[in-house]
Amino acid sequence: MSAELKGPQQLQGEVIDKHLCALCGACVGVCPYLVSHQGRIVVMDECNLSEGRCYAVCPRTSVDFDELNRVVFGVPRPEGELGLVREVLMARAGEGAARKKGQYGGTVSALMSFALREGLIDSAVLTSSDEALLPSGSAVRDEAGVLDCAGSNFVAAPTLAEFNREAVTDAQRIGVVATSCQVLALAKMRTSTLEKRDQIDKLALVVGLFCTWSLRYEDFVGFLREKTDLAEITKVDIPPPPAEVFEVYSNSSCVKLPLAEVRRFIRSTCDLCTDMTAELADLSVGSAEGVPGWNTLIVRSETGAELVKKAVADGAIETAPLPEENLEHLKGAALNKRKRALRNIIDKSGSSEDLLYLKLSEEALERLLA
Amino acid sequence: MSIATGKAGTSELYMGNEAIARGALEAGVGFAAAYPGTPSSEVIATLAEVAKEGEIYAEWSVNEKVAMEVAAAASFAGVRAIVAMKQNGINVASDFLMNLNLTGTRAGLVLAACDDPSALSSTNEQDSRPFAKWADLPLLEPGTFQEAKDMTRWAFEISEEIRNACMLRTVTRVSHARGDVELGELIPPSKEARFTATSPVDFTPYPVPFKHHQMIAKLEKARELFESSPFNRYVGPERPELLVVTSGACWLYSLEAVKALRAGDRVGILKLGTTWPLPEKFVQKHLARTERVLVVEEVAPFLEGNLKELVGGHLADAGQLTFYGKRSGHIPDSGELNPDLVAKALGSVLDLEVEGVSPEYVQKAQQLTGSHTHMRAIGFCAGCPHRASFWSIKNALKLDGRGGFVTGDIGCYTMALGPTGYFQVKTVQAMGSGVGLACGFGNLARTGFEQPVVSVCGDSTFFHAAIPALLNGIYNHSNFTLMILDNSATAMTGFQPHPGIGKTATGETTPAVDIEALCRAMGVRVEVTDPFDLEGTTEKLLELLRDDGGVRVLISKRTCGLVRARQGEPDYRVHIDPEKCRGDACGCARLCTRVFQCPGLIWDAETDRAKIDEVICSGCGVCADVCPAGAIINEAI
Repeated sequence: MSAELKGPQQLQGEVIDKHLCALCGACVGVCPYLVSHQGRIVVMDECNLSEGRCYAVCPRTSVDFDELNRVVFGVPRPEGELGLVREVLMARAGEGAARKKGQYGGTVSALMSFALREGLIDSAVLTSSDEALLPSGSAVRDEAGVLDCAGSNFVAAPTLAEFNREAVTDAQRIGVVATSCQVLALAKMRTSTLEKRDQIDKLALVVGLFCTWSLRYEDFVGFLREKTDLAEITKVDIPPPPAEVFEVYSNSSCVKLPLAEVRRFIRSTCDLCTDMTAELADLSVGSAEGVPGWNTLIVRSETGAELVKKAVADGAIETAPLPEENLEHLKGAALNKRKRALRNIIDKSGSSEDLLYLKLSEEALERLLA
Repeated sequence: MSIATGKAGTSELYMGNEAIARGALEAGVGFAAAYPGTPSSEVIATLAEVAKEGEIYAEWSVNEKVAMEVAAAASFAGVRAIVAMKQNGINVASDFLMNLNLTGTRAGLVLAACDDPSALSSTNEQDSRPFAKWADLPLLEPGTFQEAKDMTRWAFEISEEIRNACMLRTVTRVSHARGDVELGELIPPSKEARFTATSPVDFTPYPVPFKHHQMIAKLEKARELFESSPFNRYVGPERPELLVVTSGACWLYSLEAVKALRAGDRVGILKLGTTWPLPEKFVQKHLARTERVLVVEEVAPFLEGNLKELVGGHLADAGQLTFYGKRSGHIPDSGELNPDLVAKALGSVLDLEVEGVSPEYVQKAQQLTGSHTHMRAIGFCAGCPHRASFWSIKNALKLDGRGGFVTGDIGCYTMALGPTGYFQVKTVQAMGSGVGLACGFGNLARTGFEQPVVSVCGDSTFFHAAIPALLNGIYNHSNFTLMILDNSATAMTGFQPHPGIGKTATGETTPAVDIEALCRAMGVRVEVTDPFDLEGTTEKLLELLRDDGGVRVLISKRTCGLVRARQGEPDYRVHIDPEKCRGDACGCARLCTRVFQCPGLIWDAETDRAKIDEVICSGCGVCADVCPAGAIINEAI
């Protein structure tokens, strides 16, 4: 990997101070200088190293999808909207708790529970939130733990900090459920020469989540606090278009907030993210628009394919073909995000020759901007 | 041997401040008070030590104004009293002083003001002498240790004769250096203290114009006494090419400089021990010897201005006179003087080649001193609770993320404006001023101010000057967190007790004022933390920062590391596991030696690992909680 090696001071200058931080958590938990607090990465003291792991693994420093695809899948990124794809399916959890508790079809919870049960992994790094809706990574070792983490609140979470912590425990095969930026960081961790091999080599499974944006914790929760009692919230959801609402469920009610109001709290870095479907994961999972109770499942790697095969055979998940129009819609959405992000990047840098963190060939750039 | 046992006629090696204390005993002092402040602290500390055998009373007052007041009460009751303070203390005492001067005194009252040119231990290098002029009080300036003692004794006599306080001004090099002092007889203090007012306005400044007039008459009387003072003298040729006029320690620098330049036949030195009011006739007589005058003095051009004023008042008699000094640029406008600087000034006026100290000499001196002392940046001692407090303050403000900052003042914790306090203290002025500033910052919300404000002050400073500011903040709905760094000591000036300690200056037990209860009684939220609990302290402060609105108090309580070291065994034997230490590697980058910076931690360049300096380490164990690798190990003793 030819990523430039720079230090924490450049990380602060190029990423944190410019509000490009995605709060993936990859830089947290391995040194005393970077910590995650209330939805922010805080630089506690000045680290004087000229080359740091933090800079190397950050998904907002030098990202070359071709190179990363080579490292993760052995081939450069193929043409297309969704990155490397073996198969795109619909999936949902088999009969069981996961189907009820999962955000859509419960596929992710079912897959992680199955992987733990079967010993494919011995630890799952997931995301959960506290009473104040502050999300953080959570390492679990069994199905009950997985189910405790089911669901999402759309607030950015430093989940990878938990991976960093878990990698120095007795866990040997760690599975991670991650958003696009986190999947990107994990891929960079695999390639970084500054990474401790015995730790990153424990990464056995990456399940990516489709992601279009995430929210700034403090602002969003401050807003939410004015609308409802945080402690009462059981689930939040964004139903498919054209609803344009953000639903906040409690045991007794559902508050519908205009999505436009919530969008004000989107992290600015999400506007610069080109990857909707977590292209560097073993499996990528999202909602299957228009098919309630089902997920869309992209099978990418051999590891991913194996897991899906076993989980289907076991009945842990069910799969079905994804209707063609849904696939086309997914591709369109993914491409749109790529194009939009690219334009935003150029707007921010002021030049199509400076794509900030992204490395893209001229031809690819031209095609996307056309 | 104590200063109260030295026999008359013998000679003893005394520190300047001890000489002042002895001089007071030889004058029959019965009452002594001060708030500690470098370089003045030893005056009253020495008297407190001998209070029992000398049958005198000595106290550490809560601040300089109160010290001045208690001492004045003794004077009013017919007991000779001395009060000592550093230059900043004069400012605190000045409100009372500017009324006392009109009121006048009874028994001798001496104010020893110890100045700190170059501000070696101060926030300013203020000159106290203009205060004497401002307050119309007589001023004496000793140059030697003998003079320090003898002038103190004489100051009581002057005070009693003119019935007003007399100021004695020293500088660090007189107060803190040592020299031989020939002793005089000790006089026991008066045992007939009684307050008797002869008129309703006797002990008041009323009627002010009358008392003002009286005060000036008293000063004129002092001037007459000064005309024949043996502390003023001239040494040099009958008609010197250049007359050096000087006082105090600068007299010694001048003597040395003239000698070094072998200019004794060209330069005369007029040494003044009584610098306000000037003995005009005496001074004029000597000014008439020459046409050129170099005024050698530190800090303010006080003598220079007064001499020019004197000459200006007698222009008809004055010959052609050229003045050299601070105004002409021959003497530096700031900082301490030394013989070299004076020689340079002399050389420039006399057109002489001046050889400074040779580089070889400097090198040799450095080698000699360097072999005994280790070069180290100014900062907190090993085991200092302030380091731990500022580590947590830094972390809490970083985590809070709203640009919060710390207002401070003078005390050991001032060093937090440097690296060992992580550059946290952003303002330093007078004692307690950090709290006053916080009151102001905390009421700027209407003008768009959103930053959290943390004010720090020590326990002794809290009593000295922070309480009124805290009250002000509470009363006016200000918004800040006051962190009282309670190390149960007036550490910077030498561990003098204060109202929170439970001991008086003379070692008697007294009720300790409970800072926590006092703050609670003011009606504010008060939390207490142990600074060595880094996580707990950070969390508490973070929570208080978020608890916007009103004044909050966090008392960070842990005894000064040096006091603990004197009290007994350390808590832990600390060592470093070199296997675990990450050293320079990514994941640490020498956090303990590079950022945390306790002098007990050193970097071993040979092994590329941190190491404990067992001589310095106080065994507080705080660094174990800072190490990200768990490589610093606290072994219980």
